[in-house]
Amino acid sequence: MSGALVSPDLFTLCKVLVGGILRILSDGVLAATPVGSPVEGLRGLGYFLVEDWLVTLLAWVVAITIMVTWAAAIQLLTIMWMERKFYARLQDRYGIMVSIWSLPFWPFSWWAKRRNKPTHRGLGYLQNVADGVKLIQKENITPASADRAMFHTAPVMIASSTILIFAALPFSEGFVIANVPLSLLFILATFSIAPLGILIAGWASNNKYSLIGGMRAAAQLMAYEIPLLLAIVAVLIYSGTLNVIDIVQRQEVPLAASGPLSYIPSWNIFSIPQFIGFAVFFVAIMAEMERIPFDIPEAEAELVEGWTTEYTGMRFGLVFGFKWLRALAGSALVVILYFGGWSGPVFTTLTPYVGGTAIPIPIIPHEVWFLLKVYFVFLIFVWISWSVPRVRIDQILNIGWKKLIPLSLLAIIVAAVFAAFGPYLGGIR
Amino acid sequence: MAVDWQLAAFLVLSVVELGGSIMVVVSRKLVHAVFWLSVTLITIGGIYLLLGAEFIFLIQIIVYAGAILPIFTFGIMLTRRKIMEEVTPGEVPQEPVPETPEEGTP
Repeated sequence: MSGALVSPDLFTLCKVLVGGILRILSDGVLAATPVGSPVEGLRGLGYFLVEDWLVTLLAWVVAITIMVTWAAAIQLLTIMWMERKFYARLQDRYGIMVSIWSLPFWPFSWWAKRRNKPTHRGLGYLQNVADGVKLIQKENITPASADRAMFHTAPVMIASSTILIFAALPFSEGFVIANVPLSLLFILATFSIAPLGILIAGWASNNKYSLIGGMRAAAQLMAYEIPLLLAIVAVLIYSGTLNVIDIVQRQEVPLAASGPLSYIPSWNIFSIPQFIGFAVFFVAIMAEMERIPFDIPEAEAELVEGWTTEYTGMRFGLVFGFKWLRALAGSALVVILYFGGWSGPVFTTLTPYVGGTAIPIPIIPHEVWFLLKVYFVFLIFVWISWSVPRVRIDQILNIGWKKLIPLSLLAIIVAAVFAAFGPYLGGIR
Repeated sequence: MAVDWQLAAFLVLSVVELGGSIMVVVSRKLVHAVFWLSVTLITIGGIYLLLGAEFIFLIQIIVYAGAILPIFTFGIMLTRRKIMEEVTPGEVPQEPVPETPEEGTP
């Protein structure tokens, strides 16, 4: 019984879709070129269109396009909009309010005037699109004494490694490109390539602010990757697998077989020994995203814009926007590891009986549960970001090396003890 | 037409890896050498993947591309001396000429 919209698999769906379209095209070609007609030689095209390798290749292309559009365009715009609206409300102002009627050209201006639409009282969802369009129009300046090759390579490294995260990051048990056995490790590995790109970007700009920002970014990201990985080990002791879909399925069962606890799912956040690991992971992933309490790589009061100072135009938009994509991936990791992934609290399916067989219909599909939880976690990040002051450079390394690493080791020990002796303590987990 | 895709991938990876490792020793600037070293190490990871060792492939990327190389770059960047010197566009920055002592001074 599956509660996901994309079922059983994104690739299988795409293959059915692409195969159907190609079959119709092939039938059309074969009907248009009957045997004996002067265009008989084109019949080979009809047979070529339904070859299995072509269908598979096109299905992969369509699946990857859907995933990249979904994650890197729609979700990126959504969480950027959420952050800007939410922190504006925290600062007691409205935030972005540009609506589609604010567009200054025909037919929108005409339509707004005619219908007497208020032009700047919208939700502001399209503000980030407008910012992107503006950034594309700007000139791409390369500093005169910058290292040109490295300066142009660094955004590519950062952007490509960030998009590569979404090759293995699932939005539900079917909405995933590649369900590989080691997908959690793959996500972490692609997460850890970006610091090298940041360092190279900071060095190649030939600017002291960029250089200092790059060095701070590298020191911070490396320091916080260690407690991040160690906190995940505590989860792995419980789940026993590195596949994110299996990790979520371990958390779908109820906490107890009967009684009031059976209404609570066994998410890792509800298990007592995992809570230390959760706290460590939460802080460490926040530092990995370079969000505000840990944003010393681009502390705008000290360094102009950190390692992105010398980037202009859409290249700046790329390195700036990909911070949000990393934030999205980090929030999704928190949800997968500790908040039960896409498992809904109660009643995700109705089962009407049609002809004696039960058909599961998701009332709230798994994708929606997952996105709701991701947005919730992301809003907590935003809330913390815009409420606390920035930590200093010496404090940031002290927190990372002296507090988080011992705490994550403690989390591993506690999780191991509870995993080993839990059955003797009445099944506590 | 049977193409040995594994052999093709191995050839591409090994050519990139050998080219990268040659560039490591040929590069004049140390940060370029580190960049090519990252290319080399990641393609070595790709060869591990071809051999069926996915775990070693991912650990190679986490440890080398994620930790060792930033440490290298971290150390190297501290050795670069010329940051933000006055340069007119199109001109190669020159080392300042050391002052010669004036004649007649003891």
